[in-house]
Amino acid sequence: MPSDFIIIGMYLALMFAAGIFFSRNIKSTADYFLAARSAPWFWIMGAVWATNIGFLHGYLAHGGAAYEWGLIQANFEWFQGPFGYVLTGLFFIAFYWRAGVYTVPHFLETRYGPGIRVIYSIGWLIFFIITIAAELYLGGMFLKNILHIPFWPTVFVLAAVVGTYTLLGGLGAAIMMEFVQFIIMMVGTIPLVFILLNMVGGFEGIKDVLLTQWNVSPQYFSVLPDNHHPYGPGPWIILGQCFVVTVGWCAGHQSMVQRNLGARSLYDSKLGYVVAGLPKTLGAFLYIVPMIAAPIIFAKHGIFVEKADAAYGKLILNLLPAGMLGLFIAGLVSAGLSSISGVLNSSSTIVIKDIYERFMVKGKPDHHYFVAGRVATFGIMVAALLLVSVVARSPLIMWLEQTLLAILLGPFMAILILAIFWRRTNTPGSLTGYLVGSAFAIYYQQVLGQMVFFKISWWSFVVALAVTIVASLLTRRPKPEKIEGLTWESDFHARVGDITEQRAQNNGTKVTQMPEIKVTIPPWYLNLKYWATGILLVQLALLLFFG
Amino acid sequence: MRKIILLLVVTSTLLLAQSAIAQEKIIDVRQEMADNLTSVKTAAKNNDWAAAQDSFDKAKDTWQNEVKPLLVEDQKEEKPRFQEYFGRIGEVEDGLNKLAQLVAGRDAEIESQVNAIIWGISHHPKGFDVGPPKYSAWDWVFGLGIGLGWCVFAIFFGLYLRRSYYRRYAKQSGM
Repeated sequence: MPSDFIIIGMYLALMFAAGIFFSRNIKSTADYFLAARSAPWFWIMGAVWATNIGFLHGYLAHGGAAYEWGLIQANFEWFQGPFGYVLTGLFFIAFYWRAGVYTVPHFLETRYGPGIRVIYSIGWLIFFIITIAAELYLGGMFLKNILHIPFWPTVFVLAAVVGTYTLLGGLGAAIMMEFVQFIIMMVGTIPLVFILLNMVGGFEGIKDVLLTQWNVSPQYFSVLPDNHHPYGPGPWIILGQCFVVTVGWCAGHQSMVQRNLGARSLYDSKLGYVVAGLPKTLGAFLYIVPMIAAPIIFAKHGIFVEKADAAYGKLILNLLPAGMLGLFIAGLVSAGLSSISGVLNSSSTIVIKDIYERFMVKGKPDHHYFVAGRVATFGIMVAALLLVSVVARSPLIMWLEQTLLAILLGPFMAILILAIFWRRTNTPGSLTGYLVGSAFAIYYQQVLGQMVFFKISWWSFVVALAVTIVASLLTRRPKPEKIEGLTWESDFHARVGDITEQRAQNNGTKVTQMPEIKVTIPPWYLNLKYWATGILLVQLALLLFFG
Repeated sequence: MRKIILLLVVTSTLLLAQSAIAQEKIIDVRQEMADNLTSVKTAAKNNDWAAAQDSFDKAKDTWQNEVKPLLVEDQKEEKPRFQEYFGRIGEVEDGLNKLAQLVAGRDAEIESQVNAIIWGISHHPKGFDVGPPKYSAWDWVFGLGIGLGWCVFAIFFGLYLRRSYYRRYAKQSGM
C-alpha cells in the first residue's frame, strides 16, 4: 500500500539523517566507540534490549523457531534472558568498569595477557559478520515477502542505511537510535498480539485447537520439555543455555557490554542492564505467543508459509490493515537495524582496539584510529553482504546462530568465571582451557554430530573449566599486582579511577580514563536489588503459569 | 597475486550465490502454486468461474511440472531436504482432484478445500510431532539434581565469597 511505503520511507530517511546529525559531535575514539560515556540508565536499558532484539534475536528468527518448536522458545525470554541480564548487571559489569577497558577481549588481556585477546577477538569477529549477514538476509526476505520488492536491492538499501548512521555517528548514534527504535518497536508490534489472540480465542483457544483438534504433541506448549526433545531437552536448557550461553551472551557479547561501558556511571550501567530484563520478559508476548497461534491462522485462512523463518512476515501481512502494517514494518525494521548497528559498531571496535591498534599500528594519534574505525565499519559491512547467500542456506537460522554461540561462549564463560572468582587462574591455564574447550566444542558438533547446541555449550564449558584449573595449578600463580581490581577479592570500595591508574603504573599498560563513581543513594524505585528481585519473581511466575 | 585473490573471492561468491538460488527454487515454485490457488478463491468469490478455472489449471500445472518433480528428484539424494513435502504428495493430489470437481461444478464452498491444499504445501512445525513427554527415573534425578544442586551451590558459594571478601577488607558502614 502507498501509505505503508511512505511510513517506511520516512523512517529510513530519519535514520539516515540521524547518523549525519550525530556525526557532528564525534571528535575522538572515546566518542565514537563509547558515546563519550554519557548515557543514563534508561538509554542503556532501551539500547541493550533493542540491540538484542532484531530480525535474528526476536521477531523473525526467534519467532520462526517458536513456530517450528513451540513455547520452548519462550525460555529465552522468560527464563534465560532475564537471568543473564540480572546476573551480569549484579556481578560482571563492575569488573569491566574497574578494568577501564573498551572491549571484552581487552578485559581478557588485562587479566590474562594478549594471546587470549587475539583468539577471542577473531572468534567474535567471525560470529559478528555472520550475525550481520543473517540479519540482512532475514530483513531482505521479510521485506520481499511483505512488500513484494526484490531481495538483493532491499538488502543493499538496509545495509546502506544502517551502515551510514553507524559509520558516521558511532556508538552515540547507535544508542540514541536504539532507544527510539525500542519505543517504535513496542508501539508498532503490540497491536498484533491483541488482534491475533482475539482471532483464536486467547491462549486457551490456541491450546484447544492444537491439542484437542489437531492432536499436536503437548510438548509444543512446554517451556522446559522432557529430556528427549530433539531441539531443547529441558535439563540441558538450564545447564547449557541458562547457566552458560545466556550469561556468556550478556557478559561476553561485545555489543551488549559496549552499551554499558557507554553509561554515565557504573550505577547507570548496572541498573540499565538489570532493568532490561523486564522488556526482555515481555518480548515473548510480542513474537513467541503469536507464532504458536500462527499455524491455526495459516491453515484456516490458506496462508502459504514456505519456511519457519518466513512465518512471522506472512502472519502480519495477512492480519494487519494498511497503515498499521507500515507502522509495524517500521517497528520491525527498527529492531533489525538496531541489532545490525550494535553488532557493526562492536565489530569495528574489536577490529581497531583489539587487533589494529594493539598489534598492527601502535602509537598513532587518536584521529588515525577514529578514521580507521570508520573504514573497518565499511569493510565489515561489505564482508557481511558477501556472506548473505551462504547464510540463506541454513534451514533454521536460529539453530545456526545458537550452535556458533555454543562453541564460542562455553569456553569463554569458564575463563571469565575463573578470572573473577579464582585468583589462582593464570595466563597459560586460561589459554590452554579456552583452546581445548573450543576444540572440543567443534569436535563434539562436527565429528560426533551433536545437534543439540545446549549440550555443546555445557560440555565445552565443563572441559574448558577443568583444563584451565589443572593447567593453572601446574604453572606459576599470577602476580598479585597484575590482577588487582579484576577479581572478586579486590576492594569494592576503591574508586574505579584509582584502580585503573594504579594498574597502569604496575603493568605499564594503557587504560581508558573512567568517570568517577558518583556515590549517591538512588531513590527506592531505582534500587538495583528491588529491580533484580522483582524481575526474578516475574520469571518464576511465568514459568509456573506456562511451564 | 592480488588479482588472483580478487578472482577467487568473486568466483566463490558467485558459486555460493548459485547454490543459494537452487535452494530457493523449491520455495518459489510452491509460492507460485499458492498464489494461483489464492486466485481461485478470489475469482470464485467474484463469481468469475472462468478465471477460477484458469487459475486452478495454472496451479495444477505448477504442481505437476515444477513442485512434484523437485520433490521426487530430491528423494534420490543421500540426504533428502524436502522429505516433509514428499510425504504429503498424496494428500495434495487428492485435494487437487476434489478442487477440480468443485470448480467444474461451480461450487461456492471451495474455500476450505483451497486452504487445505495451501496448508499441504506449506511448512508444518516440526514440534507438532515430537510425541508426548516421557520422564524416566533418571530424568527426575537429573532434573531435580540440577535444580537442588544449583540452589545448594549458590548458597555455599555466595557465603564463601562474602567471607573471603570481608577477610581482606573490613566491613564499612552501609554495607
